[in-house]
Amino acid sequence: MKGAWVVLKRELGSFFVSPLAYVVLTSWLVWNGVVFWVLTEFYARNAVSSGAATPLSGFFGGSVLFFIPLLVFVPVLTMRLIAGEKQSGTIEALLTAPVSEASVIFGKYGASLVIWCVLWLPTLIYAWIMSQHGSVDWGATASSYFGIFCLGAYFMAVGLLMSVLAPTQIIAAVLAFVALGVLFTVGIGEFVLDGTAREVCAYLSMWGHMQSFAKGVVDTRYLVFDFSVAVLAVGLSIGALKARRHG
Amino acid sequence: MIEVEALSRQYGSRLAVNEVSFRVEPGEIVGFLGPNGAGKTTTLRMLTGYLAPTSGDIRIDGIDAVTDSIRARERLGYMPEGVPLYREMRVFEYLRHRGALKRVPNLTAAVDRALELAGVEDVRTRIVGQLSKGYRQRVGLAEALIADPPILILDEPTSGLDPNQVRQFRELVRSFGGKKTVLLSTHILSEVEAVCDRVIIIREGKKVADLRPGDAEISLEEVFAELTTSGVTEDAS
Repeated sequence: MKGAWVVLKRELGSFFVSPLAYVVLTSWLVWNGVVFWVLTEFYARNAVSSGAATPLSGFFGGSVLFFIPLLVFVPVLTMRLIAGEKQSGTIEALLTAPVSEASVIFGKYGASLVIWCVLWLPTLIYAWIMSQHGSVDWGATASSYFGIFCLGAYFMAVGLLMSVLAPTQIIAAVLAFVALGVLFTVGIGEFVLDGTAREVCAYLSMWGHMQSFAKGVVDTRYLVFDFSVAVLAVGLSIGALKARRHG
Repeated sequence: MIEVEALSRQYGSRLAVNEVSFRVEPGEIVGFLGPNGAGKTTTLRMLTGYLAPTSGDIRIDGIDAVTDSIRARERLGYMPEGVPLYREMRVFEYLRHRGALKRVPNLTAAVDRALELAGVEDVRTRIVGQLSKGYRQRVGLAEALIADPPILILDEPTSGLDPNQVRQFRELVRSFGGKKTVLLSTHILSEVEAVCDRVIIIREGKKVADLRPGDAEISLEEVFAELTTSGVTEDAS
C-alpha cells in the first residue's frame, strides 16, 4: 500500500499547484458565503416561524442551495483523477510501474477525500461566527460535518468510477454529473411518492441524509448506504482499471 | 533476459501482433525494427504489462510477466513512446515520485545518479512542462534508469532529439552493453547499426527477421526495404 501513499501525495501536489484548485476553492467559498448570508438573513427576519431550525442546520443540507454546487463541483474535482492521466498519456507510465491497480485507485480516492475535506474546512468559520452571536449546538455541527464527510465519500467514489470509465476529462465530468443528478432526483421522490417507493426514495435521499445529520441524528441507515456505494464504486474502479489491460 | 513465446494481441478483429517469438539475452542490446503500425509499440506494451496479451508467454528474467506482472515490472525500466510526464512537476520531484513508486532505496542518491546518467542535471529544478522536447525525452530516460533496472525497454527513444543529443544517447545506450539488457524500438536504421548487437524486424504483426547488423551481406537498409515492402511473411532468421 506504499504505492497508494505515493500516488496520493502526487495527486494532491499536482492539484494544489493547478489553477483549477484555486478557481474551485474560490468560487466554492463565494457561493457558500452567499448562501450562508442568505440563510442567516432569512432566519433573522423569521425567528419565530423557523422554530428549531438554525442558519447552520439550514446551511448543512437544509436547502437546495447546498446540493446544486455539489453536483457541479464534485465532477470537476474527480474528472481528472484517472481520465486526466489517460488524456496526457501518463497512465502508461503509472500502470507500468510496479504498483497494483488497487494501490492506484486507493491513492486517487484518498486524495479526492482530502480535497473534499479541504473544501469544507473553511466553512467552520460560519460556525464560529454563529457562536459569537448566539448559541451553537456543537454536537449537531459535528454530526453535520460527519454527514458531509460520508456524503463526500460516496460522491467522490462515484466521480472516481466515472473518471476510470471515461476516455476524457469532459466526458468523466458529464457522466459524474448525470450519475449524481440521478441520485439527487431519486431523493426528491421522498416528497412526491407514496408507499414502498417513498420508503426507497427516502433511503436514497441526499436531502434526508443531510437533514438527519444536521439535526444531530446519526442515522446508521444512511451510513450503510454511503459506505456501500463508496465500496462498490471503488471496487468497480479497480476492476475497470484491470480490465483496461485487455481492452 | 526477455523471453517471448508465440505472443499475439488482438484489437477487436484486427490482429496487431501475430505469434511473435524472440529472446533477448542478458547484456544484449537489441533493436526492434519495423515500419509504422507494424506492432512494435503493442509488443513493448505487452512486455511492460500495460497491455495483456491475447495469447502467448512473456518471461522477464524468468518471471512470468502475465501472471506475476508486478514482480516482472520491478525488473524493468520503460520509456514509453512520446514520453508522457507529469508536466506540472519539477524534474527532481518527478524523479523522486517515480523512484518512490518503484520503491527505490536511498532516493536522493538514485535521483542524482539518474539525472547525471541522462545528462539532465542542469534542469533538475525546472518544471517539466517548460522543457524542450529533447530535455523531456532525457527526463524520460532518467526515469527509466532511476531504479537501476537490469532491463530497459525504450520505445522510439531518439525521436525529437537533435543530432548531438542522438549521438550522446547512442553512446549512453552503448555503455550499457554487457551490463543491461536493452530492447529499443525504432524505425531509424542508422540507430540500429550504431548501437544494436542484434535486430528483430517485424511487419504487420509478424516477425520477419532476426539478424546481426554486420551479418547480412547487403546493408540493413536493403534488408529492411526488402522485408517490409515485398510479400515476405516467412521468418527469415
